[in-house]
Amino acid sequence: MEPIISVRNLKKVFKIGDNDVPALNGLDFDIYQGEFIAIVGTSGSGKSTCLNMLAGLEKPSEGEIHIVGEAIEKMSESELVSFRRNHVGFIFQSYNLIPFLNAVENVALPLMFRGVDKEERNKEALHYLELMNIAKEAEHTPNQMSGGQQQRVGIARALVINPEIIFADEPTGNLDSHTTEEVLSLMRKIVEEQKKTLIMVTHDPHIASWSDRQLRIVDGRIVETVLREGSAIEEEILANNGKRPYTVVHPLKNEVKNDERE
Amino acid sequence: MKMQDLFLLAFSNLRRRKIRTLLTVLGVVIGTASIVVMVSLGLGMSESLLRSFQSSGSLTKINITNYGGMGTNAKNKVELTDESIQSFESIPHVIGTSPSLEVYVTAKVGALQGDFSLRGVSQAYFQQMKLKEGTYPKKGDAELSLIYGNTVAGSFHKGNNWDKEYSIDPMKDTLFYIFPEAQDNSKPGTAQTQGEQNKPQKKYIIKTSGVMEGSAEDYSEDSSYVYADLDSLKAFLKKIYKKNLVPDPKTGKNGKPLRYYSYDQAYVFVDDMNNVAAVQKQITDMGYSCYSQVEWLKQAQEQIKTTQLVLGGIGAVSLLVAAIGIMNTMMMSIFERTKEIGVMKVLGCDMGDIRNMFLTESALIGILGGIVGIVLSYGVSFIINFLSSGGGEMVDSYTGGGGGNISTIPLWLAGFAIIFAMLVGMLSGYFPSVRAMKLSPLAAIRNE
Repeated sequence: MEPIISVRNLKKVFKIGDNDVPALNGLDFDIYQGEFIAIVGTSGSGKSTCLNMLAGLEKPSEGEIHIVGEAIEKMSESELVSFRRNHVGFIFQSYNLIPFLNAVENVALPLMFRGVDKEERNKEALHYLELMNIAKEAEHTPNQMSGGQQQRVGIARALVINPEIIFADEPTGNLDSHTTEEVLSLMRKIVEEQKKTLIMVTHDPHIASWSDRQLRIVDGRIVETVLREGSAIEEEILANNGKRPYTVVHPLKNEVKNDERE
Repeated sequence: MKMQDLFLLAFSNLRRRKIRTLLTVLGVVIGTASIVVMVSLGLGMSESLLRSFQSSGSLTKINITNYGGMGTNAKNKVELTDESIQSFESIPHVIGTSPSLEVYVTAKVGALQGDFSLRGVSQAYFQQMKLKEGTYPKKGDAELSLIYGNTVAGSFHKGNNWDKEYSIDPMKDTLFYIFPEAQDNSKPGTAQTQGEQNKPQKKYIIKTSGVMEGSAEDYSEDSSYVYADLDSLKAFLKKIYKKNLVPDPKTGKNGKPLRYYSYDQAYVFVDDMNNVAAVQKQITDMGYSCYSQVEWLKQAQEQIKTTQLVLGGIGAVSLLVAAIGIMNTMMMSIFERTKEIGVMKVLGCDMGDIRNMFLTESALIGILGGIVGIVLSYGVSFIINFLSSGGGEMVDSYTGGGGGNISTIPLWLAGFAIIFAMLVGMLSGYFPSVRAMKLSPLAAIRNE
């Protein structure tokens, strides 16, 4: 099995005034098709920066990112946009639905960017709304829906282009715990059924535990990787490759799990 | 991204901020209307100028003059003879020529008396003339018949009292004509004696053939003359003046009266007013002095053009202000929608599509403003014309009596204004939309 995402020596340094502030100090890992990955860390750990670079929203200072065989760190901005349009779905923390479009139109938006006909894209959008169990809200605009409903529309929008990879940035950050459970189980179901790769960023270890594999980041380094017991995909990778996915881990010296103090 | 989707998104965005869109459009409406009304005034001006020139004389006619005739040292001097006038017809674009055989006559109707010139002209001249009533004299008619200029009949007077003018009706009244005495310059010293003066003058009754179009107040270049067919007049004059041909013949080098016709004036008719200048130049090059209405028209139009530029400039200032308004609105809108634009970029909306979306928005503002502006302009133009037609004489004196509207909006101006407003919208929206295109997609991730 070949990894769908392969990251080598990924570094990012922010310039704040005259000071260089390192956000990522060298990440090396592979991700395979069908995996549900959680990147876990406290705020400021670099987890969001990592996601932004994987999605091509930010340029790395150093290192390589290969996604579906393409080196995205070398792409221009307009190439990245068309790359995302064809391979990547995105789920936001604050849903980011377009306020003047209704649910169907919001879901159909990425297809509109592709130049798909209105009739066809709305049909497709409705299909994904049904999959998310909110087809009856199809005509509602975002401000007529609850947070959970909006996020389901957001997930449908990420899925509608049938992407290989879905990025999710704290997708349940604005939801109550009950809705969070619902949304997470829905997401895991989709990943398993459709063999999508889902990469989710979260600060909550409990939410992270829904994933197949967790990458824990502290101060811009992977300090731990945790596999979920009974994850089918991880077993499949092991069976195929004879080893677990490639990840370079820099364990913390004093193994105190002090990152749970929030 | 499809065109219709671009329009849809742009349109919904504009609808979202109704008041702001409305105010921005209002700016374009005022800008467009002020340019269009200003230009329409300029156009109306030049049209009424053209009309006033047309009413005062044909714009395709060139007048050739040769006063003073042949000087004694005039080797290179040209002469207007039947042959030389005929030769003008070979110049391209010339459709006809006419000499003007002019005799100063006195006409009497009862106690009323009129003094004017009688002009013998060719059939080509009659073809340019419009008659109110009657018919044209035919070429070489045995009996002399006359066409009256439209202001002739109203300029009769009683005896030597010139203060008051009286009107006659040449179609009904019988006119007695007195032709001037022959002046034979070849025999100085044999000037008319007192006795000859007292001898009763011979009076001729000449038939009226028609009257030129126009009211008695419509003065024009040729309204105060009486016209006759050239050949008929030649024959008629021969009977009176015998070998001298005309009452005041020009003299040749030997001091004797010429035995052929040498005219003071001649006319050349050109097929189109745009060709007049070229024909006029050729005739001037041949050594004649000539003038045409078009010359004056050109000069007057140059002046009007300057006025039009000034008027257009005044209008352009308000459109410039509107353009700044559009730019400001777009900037605001982009600032507000930073996150939305970021989301679109994350979802894979092409950079060009984002730019086009905002360009479409500003173009829509422009088009909308342009259309409403044109409607407003037609309204304003109507009001101006309505008020000015009520103003009557004052406006007439301003436009040279051409009458008609002082503000005209031709269809091309309306179409041009809408397209222009759209371009202004796109131009002022260009900078903001490029800015929108370059916004970072990271804005979508940030949570406020």
